[in-house]
Amino acid sequence: MSVETRQSLPGFRMPAGFNGLLPALVLIVLFFVVPVLALLLRSVTEPEPGLQNYAALLGDGTYARVFFNTFLVASVVTAVTVLVAFPVAWMLAIMPSALASIVFGVIILSMWTNLLTRTYAWMVLLQRTGVINRTLMATGIINQPLPLINNLTGVTIGMVYIMLPFMILPLVGTLRAIDPMTLRAAALCGASPFQAFRRILLPLSLPGIAAGGLMVFVMSLGYFVTPALLGGTSNMMLAEMIAQMIQSLLNWGLGSAAAFILLVVTMALYALQLHLVGARRMSGGA
Amino acid sequence: MKLITAGILAGFLATTLLATTAARAEDMVFTSWGGTTQEAQTKSWAEPFTAASGIKVMQDGPTDYGKLKAMVDAGSVNWDVVDVEMDFAIKAAKDGLLEPIDFAAVPKADLDPRFTTDHAVGSFYYSFVLAWNKGAVSGEPAGWADMFDTKKFPGKRTFYKWSAPGVIEIALLADGVPADKLYPLDLDRAFKKLDTIKSDIVWWGGGAESQQLIASGEATFGQLWNGRVFALEKDGADVGVSWNQNLTAADVLVVPKGAKNKDAAMKFLAAASSPAGQAKFAEASGYAPINTKAKAEMPADVVKGLPDAHVDGQINLDMNYWAEHRDEIATRWYAWQAK
Repeated sequence: MSVETRQSLPGFRMPAGFNGLLPALVLIVLFFVVPVLALLLRSVTEPEPGLQNYAALLGDGTYARVFFNTFLVASVVTAVTVLVAFPVAWMLAIMPSALASIVFGVIILSMWTNLLTRTYAWMVLLQRTGVINRTLMATGIINQPLPLINNLTGVTIGMVYIMLPFMILPLVGTLRAIDPMTLRAAALCGASPFQAFRRILLPLSLPGIAAGGLMVFVMSLGYFVTPALLGGTSNMMLAEMIAQMIQSLLNWGLGSAAAFILLVVTMALYALQLHLVGARRMSGGA
Repeated sequence: MKLITAGILAGFLATTLLATTAARAEDMVFTSWGGTTQEAQTKSWAEPFTAASGIKVMQDGPTDYGKLKAMVDAGSVNWDVVDVEMDFAIKAAKDGLLEPIDFAAVPKADLDPRFTTDHAVGSFYYSFVLAWNKGAVSGEPAGWADMFDTKKFPGKRTFYKWSAPGVIEIALLADGVPADKLYPLDLDRAFKKLDTIKSDIVWWGGGAESQQLIASGEATFGQLWNGRVFALEKDGADVGVSWNQNLTAADVLVVPKGAKNKDAAMKFLAAASSPAGQAKFAEASGYAPINTKAKAEMPADVVKGLPDAHVDGQINLDMNYWAEHRDEIATRWYAWQAK
């Protein structure tokens, strides 16, 4: 499909700048659109044509609970991640840049470490016979091991730890762009530190929180390894259920339908977010 | 611009070519469950087989039924021999996912007929046994009923996570169902019994995990593959084991439909199921051989520790029943787990 043939189509002109986009579009179609269409096709043709897979998913209490669990875990993880990431990002934003780059390095390094390894490390820490419980019991703070694993607590701890960098990085960018003078001005006008935070810092950093939060939420929705290893079967998330359907039940139609519903819901959330926050503020804030 | 698109396409072509040549350079691929079991299979079967035939055996894993089906459906099968659970093998043969075994190449006469079908030869057979961490349990659990007695034996107990023969039967036996009346399985009764200890169950998804749970005391006791208990004992872990009402099941070796190196695969099956191959593997793993001539080649003390030294009160899990009801049980199983 060369430029000449395209221009010879009467009355059809490519929008300006489209040429440079073509390779990206080819990649997106090949690696995203085609597989998603294949998924959709599978979900309405296997084991026989029809919508019975969707009917089964939406009409069954178990699947409904797994969907609910998935969104519950993603919401909790997103909220906790924001709370933990904000002070860290603020520190990074006001630190001398030499020190900040070292801390950044540490954060990035953890992202490069194998996910499974990091999850297993949490298992070793959180087990009833794990490091945390043994330490607490040895010091006499508790006399029964705390249930930190195979439940929502374990999933939340493990996933927040893994998601933190994705929240910290966009937040730092937003916070650094805030003019420190605004805070000084607030103080001069008699604002308490808390008021300055609530009325200046927080509103100005909202785009970063929104961008990071959406990324964390969407990534959490599809998480598999960490919830499977740190959660119990009653905190099962959608990704694990899809894996069961495909690996153990060999029911590809049902698995594809579940995956497609997850995709549609995620896209809808993203659209809603764009609508609420505005596309320009989402694309990196300041 | 055109250059970039061309570059992308060239890249694709190059990777496809590379992938096909890479596949041609290796002689065959054996896929199993990883951990101590696959190590024993590599040492007892693959290495001597390569030394004798010159055919290289690449190891892959863990076994994944979804992947196997995907490969067969897509007509691009990268596995030549796969170690699978027997109930899956029976169902997969029905669904047309497996090549028939060429018994001209694989001598059948000495193979245990319980584990030999038109599409599978036995890999090994094993028992689910009750194992416990001696440091974490006061007293000695005597049988499956103790797994459900949280008063007498407090603490977490561990069971096999996936829907497969074993846990349902254990629940029924613990509830007082006689061994000869297990089938057809009374699922309602089994789940009711399992409900009584649900909050105390930790699930293990793979053999290595079951070893870790028991060895660390994270679970005080549980239902384990006897070979994994054997490996724990070999490592000097302080574990106890009860063979009371041990439940036998088998793994079998299958060749996925459309496997690229079928001839090599059949030769490998012959070597793996031979008396020598079976004897070596049983010695390394603590699982029982499926070749009736294997025991003659094994030291007497090893034979004593195998599942077939514990036939008294032993129960054979009904693979045909499971193959028949696999999906229906699995659907209920996972729904119950997720509650």
